[in-house]
Amino acid sequence: MAHAVISCLHANLAAVQAVLDDIDQQGIKAITCLGDLVGYGPQPNEVVELVRQRAIPTCQGCWDEDIIDGLNACECSYPSQLAERRGHLAHHWTANRLTDDNKAFLAQLPTTLRRDKLLFVHGSPNSQHEYLLPDMNAFAALERVETAGAETLFCGHTHQPYVRELSGGSIRVSVQQSGSEPDRDQVMTLPMRRIVNAGSVGEPRHGSTNATYVVHDDESDEVSIREVNYDVAKTCQAIVEAGLPDVFAWRLSHGFEYAERAEDASHVCER
Amino acid sequence: MQQIWLITGPPGCGKTNWIRETLQNHEGSCAYVRLDGATQEGLEIGHNAGIDHSWLKDQIPQLHKFSDPATSSQLSSSDRFVLIEAQQFSAPTARDDGLDPQIKQQLERFNLKPDRMLHFGVDPELPKQDTLAFTKLEAWHFDLQGCVWDPNSLSSFWFELVNGAYGDVYRAKALMNMPDGRSFFCNWMVSQSGSQFLPLQSVEAPTGRPKRASHFVIQGKGLFPLGIKSTINDCLLSDDVLELQQAQLRNQQPNLQATLQTPD
Repeated sequence: MAHAVISCLHANLAAVQAVLDDIDQQGIKAITCLGDLVGYGPQPNEVVELVRQRAIPTCQGCWDEDIIDGLNACECSYPSQLAERRGHLAHHWTANRLTDDNKAFLAQLPTTLRRDKLLFVHGSPNSQHEYLLPDMNAFAALERVETAGAETLFCGHTHQPYVRELSGGSIRVSVQQSGSEPDRDQVMTLPMRRIVNAGSVGEPRHGSTNATYVVHDDESDEVSIREVNYDVAKTCQAIVEAGLPDVFAWRLSHGFEYAERAEDASHVCER
Repeated sequence: MQQIWLITGPPGCGKTNWIRETLQNHEGSCAYVRLDGATQEGLEIGHNAGIDHSWLKDQIPQLHKFSDPATSSQLSSSDRFVLIEAQQFSAPTARDDGLDPQIKQQLERFNLKPDRMLHFGVDPELPKQDTLAFTKLEAWHFDLQGCVWDPNSLSSFWFELVNGAYGDVYRAKALMNMPDGRSFFCNWMVSQSGSQFLPLQSVEAPTGRPKRASHFVIQGKGLFPLGIKSTINDCLLSDDVLELQQAQLRNQQPNLQATLQTPD
């Protein structure tokens, strides 16, 4: 059975609707959402309500968490003062606009979802704020999957879709002993592990304006990345009408994220 | 023997860069005059506010500048190579010298009689640039005296600016201060590839707000000044943040202040 994994919706209703339509057209019934339902985009309530209406199992993203708990991410989350100011503006706008009911929904979301050996998180098993980038050190990437007890880890947060197979991994332990005893070596070979990043529905960062998500086939274990064209102009108009900065609309319409990622993407905020 | 050349051309054709290279290769006394340029209906002249002179003076310390006609007697009596820069949208015609009356008036006020007049896009002595024919042009100017940019924010803003986030920008030119005391001449033209980010030779000590000139001029069509101003405000450092960043620099390099050249 195929199931779809979506992430980083960012209050972009037109993109979410287009992706759900695409999933429906394929006859896929099971959907998992990796969070960030809100943030930057102009329709936070509409997107949260659509996810609730469709009863899509969802884990909490960093934006969902911040809207509930308040802004307490450290300044290193942003690569520049400009990005930080825009992030804060979007945060306050969203927090003021979101209904109490929808905030309560975001507050009760779990940070991880698990189905057998499949693990679903927003950022990484360690934090909603940690980026698992495609070029992350292979040992560190393998450690994230292995210590979480998963064979395949589904994540989002980077807004860049990818499938990374981690094969041929091993852990070698060398124990130095006292006296003339030789060192004792132990090698554990790890089976293939996989990280699947679903990209972003509402704020692409992969060089195109298209929304992305992934489809996983439980039987064949194959993963495919899908791109969906949607009415970007409609969301841009909604951004302007909502009173968000015009430059947000410009960035979205050109396939640029609203605010750039931090320079040190592996940084995890001290919260 | 004194030589006086007048260099004209439309915005962004490379007048200032050509003047810089020419004067750097000239041995002996040299002077620079920038005229206000000729306004035409629908074509606004960018208020340069000393950006070009500050940049040239930094690159050619011995350069004399004459912006006041009262001092023009010094100019005409000296044995110098004088380059005059003026923005002129249309090329000179064959019947006349082709100079715009507004430029002629200014030359008379300075008592300057050019020996040569070279226009970009016409005279082969000048580099062949992809000069644009403008039919409508808005200009916008921002005084940034004492302002200091967050470098990463400037990078993002400049990217947005030259890629059309705030209207169809044809030309952007600025002197921008950095928290470490450096200043950059930022230059971009729609017809040329890439932006220039050239550091000034003069570096101020990282102790508070710089004293040097800092301006920003943009020319284009359908410009969105409110958006530009709003983004610039989000990029400029407050007193507290500036002090925080400069204190770190001073701690890292305690002898920094003593080794830096103080601008005049």
